[in-house]
Amino acid sequence: MTALVQRLRATSGAGEDDLRALEALPYALRNYRENQTVLRDGDRPSECCLIVDGFCVRSKTIADGKRQILSIHIPGDLPDLQNLQLSTMDHDVVALSNCTLAFITHAAIRDLIRARPTVGDIFWRDTLVDAAVFREWIVNVGQRAAHNRLAHIIVELRERLQMIGRVTGNAFAMPLTQEQIGEAMGVTNVHTNRILRQLRLDGVLEFHRGVVKILNEHKLQELAQFDGRYLHSSPCS
Amino acid sequence: MACFHFDIHENDRFIADDEGRYLDDEERVRALAVATGASIARDAFVEGSASRIVIDVRKDDAHFMRVVISLSLE
Repeated sequence: MTALVQRLRATSGAGEDDLRALEALPYALRNYRENQTVLRDGDRPSECCLIVDGFCVRSKTIADGKRQILSIHIPGDLPDLQNLQLSTMDHDVVALSNCTLAFITHAAIRDLIRARPTVGDIFWRDTLVDAAVFREWIVNVGQRAAHNRLAHIIVELRERLQMIGRVTGNAFAMPLTQEQIGEAMGVTNVHTNRILRQLRLDGVLEFHRGVVKILNEHKLQELAQFDGRYLHSSPCS
Repeated sequence: MACFHFDIHENDRFIADDEGRYLDDEERVRALAVATGASIARDAFVEGSASRIVIDVRKDDAHFMRVVISLSLE
């Protein structure tokens, strides 16, 4: 619960009583292996999953087997919070790395929201920010050139990891393969490889074994064209 | 399963694929080479950074196929 509470305290202006009530929710911990499916399109879950450790993605796979990664999720995220209101999954949730997930029953969350309506407001805000991130990803995939697209994804991930204290100096975890990065950008793994090579040659960043190391912040910002307002990372934003 | 390398030429700029990837379906190799060339061309042609994209595919270090995509403005 720590990462969730840390993020909500910083971003939503949630009161300490509400945060303590969230921390007191009963949960069951389950471990998932890298690439293991957590939820499938069509599932009807009765619990929400909170990422305690590791990374997950939401994705959709089309008829010919091609997969689009829709969003990347980090500790403190509730990637299936929408199922509290929408009973059937319309996409997959997959563990990117080995993950520990905390499952909280919908019933427990509903009881808490009824007892403390401001917790409902916190969750509502969280799903709205989620939608804002999706809008930005549509712009990114639809309009930016591939190297700008990748730079944007990397800066966004770093900003979100920073909120939960998971950035050390100029390095942070991004446990995606080149194939998965390509699936997030809508390009092939060969094109992804070409972009990563160019970014390294240009002294912008290095990506090795799931870790990004920023070499030149100025160049990275120039490429990413990043305006973080859509992350709504403070209560008044 | 064979190891395929996808070397990329963007005009005179050459980016060798040292790592390669193991693939078992030659039709998939063709589709991957064409899709990669088209996606690099889309950005490079619009930005004006290149007008000819070549993907040279090597299979276990021997030539396998070449995809050439050129921009022609008339």
